[in-house]
Amino acid sequence: MKFFILAYKNLKRRKSRSFLTIGGVAVAVAVLVCLLGFNAGYQGALTSDIDKMGYQVVVTAKGCPYEAATMILNGEAGLKFIDEDIYKQITSDPDIDKITPLLAQLAYDPEKMEGKGGFTNYLGIEESYMPLKPNVEIIEGKWFSGNDVNEVILGYEAAESEQKSVGDKISIPGKDIVFTIVGIFNRTGSQEDGTVFLPLKTTQRIFDTEGKLTGIGIKLKQIEKISEFEDRLYPIASIQVISMSQVKGTILNLVNSAKILIMSVAFIAIFVAIIGVINTILMSVFERTQEIGIMKAIGASRLDIFQLIWMETLIVCTLGGIFGSMIAFFGGNLVELLVRNVMPYAPGGRLLLITPELLLFSFLGVIIVGIISGLYPAFKAASMRPIEVIRSGE
Amino acid sequence: MKDSAISANKLKKIYSSAFEKIIALKEIDIEIKKGEFVTIMGPSGAGKTTFLNLVGYLDRPTSGRLDILGGNSIELNEGRLSRIRIDKIGFVFEDFFLISSLNALENVQLPLIFAKKFKNNINPETLLKRVGLDHRLTHFPNELSGGELQRVAVARALVNNPEILLADEPTGNLDTKNAQGLFDLFRELNKEEGLTIVVATHNNRLGHSTDRIIHLKDGKIEQDERLVK
Repeated sequence: MKFFILAYKNLKRRKSRSFLTIGGVAVAVAVLVCLLGFNAGYQGALTSDIDKMGYQVVVTAKGCPYEAATMILNGEAGLKFIDEDIYKQITSDPDIDKITPLLAQLAYDPEKMEGKGGFTNYLGIEESYMPLKPNVEIIEGKWFSGNDVNEVILGYEAAESEQKSVGDKISIPGKDIVFTIVGIFNRTGSQEDGTVFLPLKTTQRIFDTEGKLTGIGIKLKQIEKISEFEDRLYPIASIQVISMSQVKGTILNLVNSAKILIMSVAFIAIFVAIIGVINTILMSVFERTQEIGIMKAIGASRLDIFQLIWMETLIVCTLGGIFGSMIAFFGGNLVELLVRNVMPYAPGGRLLLITPELLLFSFLGVIIVGIISGLYPAFKAASMRPIEVIRSGE
Repeated sequence: MKDSAISANKLKKIYSSAFEKIIALKEIDIEIKKGEFVTIMGPSGAGKTTFLNLVGYLDRPTSGRLDILGGNSIELNEGRLSRIRIDKIGFVFEDFFLISSLNALENVQLPLIFAKKFKNNINPETLLKRVGLDHRLTHFPNELSGGELQRVAVARALVNNPEILLADEPTGNLDTKNAQGLFDLFRELNKEEGLTIVVATHNNRLGHSTDRIIHLKDGKIEQDERLVK
C-alpha cells in the first residue's frame, strides 16, 4: 500500500464532497482552456480574414470608424456614399499599385433563411476587383459580359444556399428585374462567400445611386507609404482612409475589452476553485484530527502527514484538470457558438483553437494551483500533536 | 546499562492551562529492563497514561531524564522522536484507534507506509494469523468485534518489530474473556520474542499475571511490587 492509495481512500470516503470539489476545479480549468483557446483562435481567424481581403487600404465616407470597420469586414464597405469622382481623382496617385471601386448594397429578403427573412449583401464591382483579390477566382461560368448588364456572380455560399447554378435566373427583392447567373466564385472563407456580385454600373442603376461608391479598395506599392498617402488624401473632406491593420487593431481593441472581462471571470472561477479545494481538504483534515493523531502515534512523521494531505489535494486537482480539459475539448463547439453570437465581429474559421500545448499548459497550471492550495491544509495537519489529537477523541 | 529498556530519572510532567497547573508526574524514578512484562496500576489521574505517553514519545517531559533504549528523549527533536517511535515502539490504545476506511490488513500495513525502509518488519498477514484473525483480513473495523479490533491494533503495533510494546488500558473496552485472551497473547509475545511490555490497567487480576506491578498514585510511585513466579 502506498501513500497514493491511502490518499485516494480518504477521498473516496466522502464521495459527493470530493466529486463536487473536483467539479469546481474542472469548471475553472474548462473556462481557462476555452478562454486561452479563444485568445489564440480569434486573433488567428481575424488575421487570416483580413489577409484574405486583399486590399490594405479602404477609402470610405467619413463616419464612425468602428462602425465602418465592422461594415467593411462584413463586405458592406459602409453605407455612406462617396462620389465616383474621388475614385478618378486618386487613381493617378503614384503610390497606388492596384485600385478598385466598390458599391455595396443591402436588401431585405423575406424569403431568406427558410422564410425567417434576412439581409442579402450586394456588391458592385469592376474587373479591377479581381487583381486585388488573388484568392478569388471563378470556379464556374465566367465574368460579366458587359459593364451594365443584368448579370450576377454568386459567392460560393450564396449559390449553395439558394441552390442556384450558372444559367439560372435570380431576382433582387423589391426590384422588378430578372438577373442571369453567369458565374460562381470559389469559397474564400470570408464574409464575401455569401455576397451577390453585380457589375458596378448595374448596381448604381438598380439601387438609384448613380455616380456613387461606398468604398475604394487600394493596394499600395509599399504599405510603409500609407501615412504619406493618407496626408495627400486629407484635403478631401468627405472621405477617410482606413488601413486594414487599423481595422484589425480596432476590432482587436473591441475584443480585448471583452477578453479582459472574460479573463476576470476565469480568474474568479479559478479563485473560487482554489478556495473550494482548500476548504474541502481542510474540512477533511479537521474531521480526521483523531486519525491523523493515530498515524502520528504509530510513527508517521510530520513530513508523512504533510505528504498524505498534499497528495489528496493533488489528486483532486489532477482529476479536476482531466475532466476540465475534456469538457473544454468536447464542449468547445458550444462555446464557439455562444461567442459568435456575442462578439461584435466574428471572423470565419475556428474561433476556439484548443491545441495540445494549451491543454498541457492549463493542466500544468492546475497542478501548480493544487500544489499551492494543498500547502496550508497539509501544514495544518502536519502540525497537529499526536497526544492532543488522541485526547480530543475521548 | 545495556539491558535497560526504560530508565526514568526524576521524571516530571506538568500540564498547565490558563487557570491551573496539574502535576501529573512528580519526579518519579523507574527502571524497566529489557524483556520485562510490567503493569502500571493506579486510580484515574494517577499518571499512568502520562507515563506511557512520555515513554512512547507522544509527549515530552517537563523535566528529568528519560532514556529509552539508551537515548534521552529530551535531547531529541521531533523528527528523531517519530523515527524512534516507528522503529522501536509499538502502541496499543484503549479505544483501538483503527482507521475506519481501511480494512484489517491495511490497518496493520499502515506503519509500513510511514517507515519507508525497514530492516526487519514482520509480514502483516503472518501477524494477523498469529493474533488469530487470518479469516478477517479484508474486514473493516465496523465489521469486527471489540476483541478482534484490539487484536488488529496489537498486530499493527507489532508490524515494525518493536522492542517495547506500550498498552494504555488495552482491556478497557473488552469483556473478561477477550481481556484474558489479550493478556495471554502479551505473555506469549513476551516469552517467545523477549518483547518488553508495559501495560497500564485498572484490572487487578490481569495485573497479577505479569512480572511486576508499579502502583502509581497522585503522580508518585506508591509501591513497586515484583511478583514471584
